[in-house]
Amino acid sequence: MPTRRAIIVQLPAAAFTGALIARAAMAADKSVTIGINVPLTGSDAETAALIRDGAMIAVEDADAQGGVAGYKIEVTVLDDGTATAGQYDPAQAATNARKLVADKAVVAAIGPQMSGSGKAMAPILSQGNLATITPSSTNPDITDPKFAAQFRPAGKAIYFRTVTTDAYQGPNMANYFAQTLKIKNVYILDDSGAYGVGMADAFEAQAKKIGLTVLGHDQLDPREADYTTILTKIKSLNPDALYFGGTSLAGIKLVKQSYDVLPKVVKGGGDGVYSAALLKGAGYPAIEGWYATIAAPYIADNPDVAPWVKRFEAKYGHGPTSYSFTAYDAALVILDAIKRVAESGKPVNRDTVRDAIQSANVKTLQGAVSFDENGDIKDRTVSVFRYQHNDKYPVDDVLHQYKYLGVAPQTA
Amino acid sequence: MRDRYWVKLSLAAVLAAIVFLVGKYTSVIWILGEPHVLLQQVINGLSLGAMYALLAIGFTLVYGIMELINFAHFNVFMIGSFLGMWALEFLGLSGQSRVLTGLALCGTLAFAFAVAMLGSGVLGVAIERIALRPLRGIPGTTGMITTIGVSYILFNIILLSAGADAKNYPNPMPNLQWQVAGAVVDLREVLIWGISLILMAGLQLFVSRTRLGKAMRATAQDSEAARMMGIDVDRVIATAFFLGSALAGAAALIFGLYYNYTSFLIGYTAGLRAFTAAVLGGIGSITGAMVGGVIIGLIETLGGQLIAVRWTDVIIFSILVLVLVYAPTGLFGRAAPTKS
Repeated sequence: MPTRRAIIVQLPAAAFTGALIARAAMAADKSVTIGINVPLTGSDAETAALIRDGAMIAVEDADAQGGVAGYKIEVTVLDDGTATAGQYDPAQAATNARKLVADKAVVAAIGPQMSGSGKAMAPILSQGNLATITPSSTNPDITDPKFAAQFRPAGKAIYFRTVTTDAYQGPNMANYFAQTLKIKNVYILDDSGAYGVGMADAFEAQAKKIGLTVLGHDQLDPREADYTTILTKIKSLNPDALYFGGTSLAGIKLVKQSYDVLPKVVKGGGDGVYSAALLKGAGYPAIEGWYATIAAPYIADNPDVAPWVKRFEAKYGHGPTSYSFTAYDAALVILDAIKRVAESGKPVNRDTVRDAIQSANVKTLQGAVSFDENGDIKDRTVSVFRYQHNDKYPVDDVLHQYKYLGVAPQTA
Repeated sequence: MRDRYWVKLSLAAVLAAIVFLVGKYTSVIWILGEPHVLLQQVINGLSLGAMYALLAIGFTLVYGIMELINFAHFNVFMIGSFLGMWALEFLGLSGQSRVLTGLALCGTLAFAFAVAMLGSGVLGVAIERIALRPLRGIPGTTGMITTIGVSYILFNIILLSAGADAKNYPNPMPNLQWQVAGAVVDLREVLIWGISLILMAGLQLFVSRTRLGKAMRATAQDSEAARMMGIDVDRVIATAFFLGSALAGAAALIFGLYYNYTSFLIGYTAGLRAFTAAVLGGIGSITGAMVGGVIIGLIETLGGQLIAVRWTDVIIFSILVLVLVYAPTGLFGRAAPTKS
């Protein structure tokens, strides 16, 4: 029979220990959620998965070390691709944006991959004051102050990028065509999506400014199978080069069919062509010789980056794409923002995290990342590549099949 | 007399306006100086037209007999192309790297066509037996809506099992080309025209010369009377579905060999244009479907060349509307149907 003394001492001790344990458990229950929104259904599914994987490495690294400043990082992955669209679907992206805004645990998001989705998501995210960092959406309108009323009605920047925009990607490629490749005339095609039209229009405007003759600009329907009509028309106009703004749904068919109809014409595109899905669908030899750009500096042969690439390959069984790096960088920025907010004693919610992202200066794989007042990244490099078939690697290995040629001449 | 003077004057003014607009906004004048481009686009148009014609015939056969628009037809076409792809892969081909000639090529293609056509035909008959026969006799749009549902099922079966990416089509055909008056004709274009002509001629012979063909024409005219004359209407309907779907399967294999790709989406655009072709030609008429298909193919390529590719759908549907306004049953159509 326990003595009265035993009870007086042991019961409070047990209660106190129990409270300590409960408190520790509650502290471990502190968590925040990061949303990831990419088109995992449709023609760009492979690239989307590589982007998601790049971001997940950062999150898993953080959680393996016990979270960020005591917060466990949860991830919600949403798919903005649908079967009916066959690729990213802006309507689905808008639905996903509402889901993220409604979930109070979400403090920031990564994505979208495509600008078409970005245009649909930005106003909704703005009204929820939820920041997203896109690793690959390059259409400049979304962060352009001219369109602030449309894309950020609540005023603050919420659409951040770890890539630069097509305000530079398209025009710098026009400079490259004219100055480096000495092209005299070009025909432009786009795939009628927000990204493709933006790229093609920006390329066209710059081409006209620098004296590169534009023979015509037409639009492809990505669901249409046959592009021989327009390619025959282009052939009859005899251009030096063909420029394509768009993604893989139209791009695959264009690459295949232009290989038959326009074998001698110089062909190039934006970062929609720099895609595993497009390489796999178009195949070699159709893609041989195509030029592509990305709206980011080339870092894959940076020696600091090689161990990261090896880790990615070991974990996921295949190599990263360029936008896996920018997705990882985006995740690093968000984790750094959460850490700074927690350490400053402020509550970790989407408002404080957005402000922290705005003032970020984080060392990432591509170097120091910081944003201007519109959400655009301050570094404006556009890198140019050309497909040169390498038998040792599979056709859709973007990092090894695309040879890095250099930085495109900057638009004044 | 004064009225007719004004009518003639206004007609002349309208014609002048059309000539002016055509001259200013299209490249008709330019192309008259480049006949080889015109010829090339006509060649392209005829190839597309042959594919649309084969697809349109399937629609028209079923409609003629059952007065039912079979929306599942587009996706039977899509599945036919996957069947052809799997048949070619079964023979050990993949991609366009291995080229066969002569007897090996004929044998390979014959096998692929047999698999694609029989497989699609059987699928068409199965759809009719499972989804449509229980609804026979129910008036209204029930049957048509059921075919929309079947269409979605087929589409999603392929999407979920084969994936969303475009598949590289195995193609053993050599890349032969001939120069004809400045334009280029490919071996695959010759293939399309050859196979389409053979199949369409075969179908016409079947419908006009055989007993089953005669039974189909009788059922199309009046199914009650046909039943009273002792015709097995069930068998006739199954035959119509089989033939239409088999032709779609052939068109699908041709599509794969022509474009070197297939995906779960190909039923959409090709199907829409083929449906338009069937309506343009007069739905219910086989000749109409063939002619309609070729017309739509030519409109697509010449419209794209003379105006712009982005307006193709607008041009095609405008012409369809104009034709239907003056000839509501299409170019070769019969009297208006009683059901939808």
